[in-house]
Amino acid sequence: MEQAFKRTQILTNHLLQSSPSSQTLSSNACLSYSPPELSENYAFDIKDMRKLIDRHNLEERDWLFGLMKQSKLFNPKVRGGKVFVSPDYNQSMEQQREMTLKRIEYLLEKGAFKGWLTEKGEDIEMRKFAGFEVCSIYDHSLFTKLGVHFFLWGGAIQFFGTKHHHDKWLRDTENYWIKGCFAMTELGHGSNVRGIETVTTYDSNTGEFVINTPCESAQKYWIGGAANHATHTVVFSQLHINGTNQGVHAFIVQIRDADGNISPNIRIVDCGHKIGLNGVDNGQIWFDNVRVPRENLLNSVADVSPDGKYLSSIENPDQRFAAFMAPLTVGRINIAISSVYQSKVALATSIRYALTRRAFSLKQNEPEVLLLDYPSHQRRLFPLVAKTYAMSFAANYLKMLYVKRTPQSNKTIHIVSSSFKATFTWNNMQILQECREACGGQGLKTENRVGQLKGEYDVQSTFEGDNLILMQQVSKALFAEYMAAQKRNKVFKGLGLEHMNKPCPVIPLQLTSTTLRCSQFQMDALCLRERDLLNRFVADVSKCKAKGESSEQAFMICYELAQDLGKAFSDRAIFQTFVDAETTLPAGSLKDVLGTLRSLYALICIEDVSFLQYGYLSVDNGANVRREITKLCTELRPHALALVSSFGIPDAFLGPIAFNWIEANAWSSV
Amino acid sequence: MISRLLELFLAYEEDPNVKLVMLKGEGRAFCAGGDVVAVVHDIWAGGWRAGANFFMKEFSLNYLMATYSKPQVSILNGIVMGGGNGVSMHGRFRVATENSVFAMPETALGLFPDVGASYFLSRLPGFFGEYVGLTGARLDGAEMLACGLATHFVPSAKLPMVEVALCDADSSDPVIISSIIDQYCEKSSLKEQTVYNRLDVIDRCFSQRTVEEILSALEREVVDQRDGWISATIQTLKKASPTSLKISLRSIRVGRVQGVGACLTREYRMVCHVMRGEFSNDFFEGCRAILLDKDKNPKWEPSKLEHIADTTVDRYFSKVKDEDWEDLKLPTRSKFNLPPYVIAKL
Repeated sequence: MEQAFKRTQILTNHLLQSSPSSQTLSSNACLSYSPPELSENYAFDIKDMRKLIDRHNLEERDWLFGLMKQSKLFNPKVRGGKVFVSPDYNQSMEQQREMTLKRIEYLLEKGAFKGWLTEKGEDIEMRKFAGFEVCSIYDHSLFTKLGVHFFLWGGAIQFFGTKHHHDKWLRDTENYWIKGCFAMTELGHGSNVRGIETVTTYDSNTGEFVINTPCESAQKYWIGGAANHATHTVVFSQLHINGTNQGVHAFIVQIRDADGNISPNIRIVDCGHKIGLNGVDNGQIWFDNVRVPRENLLNSVADVSPDGKYLSSIENPDQRFAAFMAPLTVGRINIAISSVYQSKVALATSIRYALTRRAFSLKQNEPEVLLLDYPSHQRRLFPLVAKTYAMSFAANYLKMLYVKRTPQSNKTIHIVSSSFKATFTWNNMQILQECREACGGQGLKTENRVGQLKGEYDVQSTFEGDNLILMQQVSKALFAEYMAAQKRNKVFKGLGLEHMNKPCPVIPLQLTSTTLRCSQFQMDALCLRERDLLNRFVADVSKCKAKGESSEQAFMICYELAQDLGKAFSDRAIFQTFVDAETTLPAGSLKDVLGTLRSLYALICIEDVSFLQYGYLSVDNGANVRREITKLCTELRPHALALVSSFGIPDAFLGPIAFNWIEANAWSSV
Repeated sequence: MISRLLELFLAYEEDPNVKLVMLKGEGRAFCAGGDVVAVVHDIWAGGWRAGANFFMKEFSLNYLMATYSKPQVSILNGIVMGGGNGVSMHGRFRVATENSVFAMPETALGLFPDVGASYFLSRLPGFFGEYVGLTGARLDGAEMLACGLATHFVPSAKLPMVEVALCDADSSDPVIISSIIDQYCEKSSLKEQTVYNRLDVIDRCFSQRTVEEILSALEREVVDQRDGWISATIQTLKKASPTSLKISLRSIRVGRVQGVGACLTREYRMVCHVMRGEFSNDFFEGCRAILLDKDKNPKWEPSKLEHIADTTVDRYFSKVKDEDWEDLKLPTRSKFNLPPYVIAKL
């Protein structure tokens, strides 16, 4: 009986698998790898889709990918006949830092950073964004070292400094003749920049500022680049002039000479090993009455005269601080937009894997089922694809908002970038975790990338602004918009809040499939939640204030509504960018597939517990939403390969399990 | 010949008695390339579609060879250029000899390195692929082995023995085939003046973002070290069609991150645009000057790199705006047990 069973199995494999050619019988009974390209079709042109989601500088990206792929410095390895590039995370902390610097030097020599600080205009800003996105796909340490040097140090010179700073520092920075870092965060103060404790005074006799770390909690901490390589830094410090604290200002300080010796009166210590990002040398810095020339004050917003008078065109210290900090937005934008690319790497890897890996048969003698043919696996991964596409469109919107900025749009940029940075980085960590699990044990292998990315990118949720704090800022801003609108005859303008001016949207009692897929309904539902939560938040905060609480105390007490409101705003704003991108398309298969994705994104937002908690959806309708989500996932199954191929990430930057994972692990490959 | 090769390769794949396919040339060349003059005549007689038809067949053959389920051994005992590379480089084994001369000389003709060259050139070490594709540089057997264009180097005298041994072995196993050819291999030393010793300069210059920057980088190198080879390279680039240079560079850069099927599909679009003469007639001018009138003095139009906008280059990569035109349809390969080295190329 056993013999017959075995024989039937082998015959079944013959019939279901391949050609009757030269392979021997034994190899047919084994699993063999079949690339997804051969069994899946592309219903739309993936080049067009890539153009839609990457949007700009495609040629530059491919060139940069090529630069990395063709150099031994980027650790190429052959697996299953293909070349993969990814840092060697098994190296020691010191070695990883050296490699990061070597990679930067290589890219510098090839002209990858040309014009990044010395050119002006929309073109170079978009090119920089594209360059950073590509670097972030390779390695977070590379991205962060570059980000600190160009966006934080370089950005500080550009935006906080004036002409003489630009002339003196920008070219040298772009050519890496000096290496910059950014000393803002302290041991005792991260998010609350205004509370930092470093103190600077002015010595009018010598025309120098004296910068000092008065106590241990005032030491600079987590300063990327400081521990090993940086020669210069921008120090943020309270400025005391004639006994008055004029608030936070920034000063250029040299911390190392060209030979790597630490400058006098400065102490630097390595922050130590981290759970990831060990290619970045973070340092702790103490300033012991360090003296710098008066010109080293970055004086775009305020200045000190040679005889020690404080001068500023902005009287109000709050406004002055806001104007001062505004330029840091670009760092936050950079982190938000690049986080989307890690999600893309993870999804491309795990979905391609799921298109070739099988587990369990539904019936005896049948071949095992492909992972991605299980509705449960689709339910895990496709909503994440929808989120990633949504984030791509929102990222492009944010980039455009930034490069076309005006003084009037600064506030909008600040709020939208805060909302998107928090949302994208949280989504990213969720997506990385889910994809790691979807790859099973293979997700634990460092070279398969997905799992390693979790440790490398975890920091995103707390640096450049802690996510919870950023979302609180969003809700506070919406509160302020509400108040401002009241004064304007209840007319809302800006931040996409114009829907508040229209009558309150109504959710139909019966949610059919057609309604659920209608973009108008989806927008109505998201706007309804935002509107209602904003009203409730304002009402609760006003109630607290009526009882005598200050604004700050009221916001603190109403934190739950604030959080829910922040999420509602973010979901709605991101969804709007998805709809806008979809409308630009001509009718066709690309638009149809994108429409299905768009509905999936909307419905997973609407599936959120807040819709039931606050009563926007009945329990029955909630069930209808969930059912529709499953249907949408099934509809997207045929497009899975096309959707992840459209990410435009070259094979070499994904994990080997995205390709011939059998050959990659074969004895002959060892 | 393309049609005949297609027929044969398709038949051999289904025939269980065929274990491997060996390809060799008669005379002093393996294959000097496609009959470009004939293509031009076809286009004059029947319009650009006649030319497109040729390339469609040729690229389909190239794809079939690249994804063939049985090993192909090409004996490159002589000139192997242009289309000759298309029918050999995609195979599993390429045997060079002391007589081999490799080149992809299309940019001098107003064309671009096609036949899947954007796939195999972009995968050479560093930026050697850009150098070879843009300059049409000639490489000998030793250089081909060094950079990976050839998999083995066998002195021509021993070739008959290789053939006999492979036939006797009667095997499809690439490991066995490789070890058989290995037995007849000899160490080939690179000549003193070899470009392969100049990889540092090549990487520095040919990694630049644009053709203009490549030329500037080369010119800077000449200032630092007065060097005949660099000057010659600059001259070659200056004599090539500026349009060809730009589209070739983009093709190799994009091809570096694409599979072989995507490369061929893209190259087909590009070659159709070239034949339609939509943006430039350089292909026809190049053929006239080099192959027909042989005055070796082509008048390129646009004549300067600066006059060719990125948007024009973009258009070579887009679909052809013609009702009857379709993207290259590659033969389906799903029913064959593809070997791992083929799967890695997709």
